[in-house]
Amino acid sequence: MSSQKSYSLPSFMNSDSSLPWLLPLVTMLIVFAIIPFFYNIYLSFHEFVPAKRALLFVGWDNWIRLFTDGVFWGSLKVSLYYTFMCLLIQLVLGMGIALLIDSDDPGFGIIRSILTLTLVIPPAIAGMIFLIMEDANYGLIPWLLKSIGLIGPEDTILSDPTLALWGVMIVDIWQWTPFMVLILVAGLRSLPSEPFESAVIDGARPFQVFRRLTLPMLHKVIAVAVLIRGIDLWRMVDYVFVLTSGGPGTATYTLSLYSWQRFTFVQWGYGATISLFSLIVILIVGNAFIHFAKVKW
Amino acid sequence: MHLFILQRLNGKELNKVFKQVLGWLIAAIFFFPIYFWITVSIKKDKDIFALPPKLFDFEVSFSAYEEVFGISRFLYVEDMGAVRPGGGDFYMMPNLVDSIIIALGSTGLAMLISILAAYSLSRIPIRGQQHFMGWILSTRMMPPVAVAIPMFFIYKNIGLMDTHLGIIIIHALMNLPLAVLLMKSFFDDIPKDIDEAALLDGATRFFVFWRLIVPLAIGGIAATAVLCFIFSWTEFIFVLMLTQTGLKTIPVVSTSFVTSTGTAWDNMAALGTAAIIPAFIFILLVQRHLVRGLTLGSVKQ
Repeated sequence: MSSQKSYSLPSFMNSDSSLPWLLPLVTMLIVFAIIPFFYNIYLSFHEFVPAKRALLFVGWDNWIRLFTDGVFWGSLKVSLYYTFMCLLIQLVLGMGIALLIDSDDPGFGIIRSILTLTLVIPPAIAGMIFLIMEDANYGLIPWLLKSIGLIGPEDTILSDPTLALWGVMIVDIWQWTPFMVLILVAGLRSLPSEPFESAVIDGARPFQVFRRLTLPMLHKVIAVAVLIRGIDLWRMVDYVFVLTSGGPGTATYTLSLYSWQRFTFVQWGYGATISLFSLIVILIVGNAFIHFAKVKW
Repeated sequence: MHLFILQRLNGKELNKVFKQVLGWLIAAIFFFPIYFWITVSIKKDKDIFALPPKLFDFEVSFSAYEEVFGISRFLYVEDMGAVRPGGGDFYMMPNLVDSIIIALGSTGLAMLISILAAYSLSRIPIRGQQHFMGWILSTRMMPPVAVAIPMFFIYKNIGLMDTHLGIIIIHALMNLPLAVLLMKSFFDDIPKDIDEAALLDGATRFFVFWRLIVPLAIGGIAATAVLCFIFSWTEFIFVLMLTQTGLKTIPVVSTSFVTSTGTAWDNMAALGTAAIIPAFIFILLVQRHLVRGLTLGSVKQ
């Protein structure tokens, strides 16, 4: 092959070693993953002291503060509640819609296309969309809920301590249920038809077919969808930032938002400690999930 | 499951109609907020705040778009000094340009690195490959805040704060796990026999990669690039924390429309609409690969 001569420049790439191919990636990942990780550990033992205008070593103070800080425990609870509830609702709703629109009939292709649209909206703008729809004075959703009597005439959503989190969760459910739907539809479409045909011949009831055949055969797809969605739910910060900024009070602080908020208050060490805690939790839970659900890439 | 039962009770035809109606109803529910948002962008203030909401019979006005895109700048130059109640300047073209530069730059960088790495991971297995892949996946789990706080100090020290390059790098880093895992799955789809036959003929690795495999994977590369572009386009917290004054991408700048004297909803909606329409077009172009992309190459359509 004479044309090879023009490829003399990357000659180091012509060996069968994978090192040169992977080197840029490994360099970037060290910069992105390793350095911030250790820097966070460093920061978690330091704190900015305004009187001395310097970042000073404070030992375990940040960690002790973390475990005695009521707002931290509250935000941990919010993060856990948010992650589990959204995951559950999106999975159940997503499965229902997927079973409905897994069809070759005309029209369902367009329905699936419409459902993809929510996925590319910037979450901050999705938050804006619901900010106006949930506005206390002229929002569509409170107006609707009031006219059917679900909430009182003076009630609000986003400034109500119990409803505010649901006001945030509804955005997530709206934007990401289609994520579950599309993945589950792809999973349903890849299922072989023989087991289902023989089950129907054997006279199995629909629910039995779903429980005994569909769910087990979708196990891998469901696990992947739950993993990726779970990670993103745990990391979520855009919606609360836009909709409630953590309020009313501290009712909708997630770990990420609380960490960011401490950071902006120049409590750099404490902010880093919260984010590090959040990172360690997701690394342990995520990798345990991958291990036990036998997710393979 | 009641659908299956309905099917048994009522026969196939009714079920089909029922499924169509229900399917379109669900699509309508999910589309409604987008429609509502677009109407806000072309409504006048009195219609935005009307209750019951005016969904169809409102007065159409494109003044929000004129302000956001600076069309009014060309038409009535002398107006622009005046400060509007509820906020200052809504001219957003610089921010749109910033967003495009950052999304394109970070996509290019992420693709360059990930295509090389993914080809290698697909063709030249390394020791501990599974662990290496696990590590890449683990970086996908990192909460952005946990990366952005240390990066804030690093960027301050090396002068990347408030620069296009800084955001391009952090967005490329953010997209690397997705791009590598996804591209590997596309390369895995191409038979290894092609490489081996060419290598036996005396071709070099890089020649095989660049001249044979990359052209075959071009559909996958396009899909991956579109996803990287969209994730950079929609990213919020890195831009929020790693820029201070000038440089703000669309998602971040649009939150600044909420001011103490009121919210410029029509301008915000105009900007938001302008930001999501291109993304809609892009995503529909690569819809075939969307599920694979969303699952980092793990579920194939």
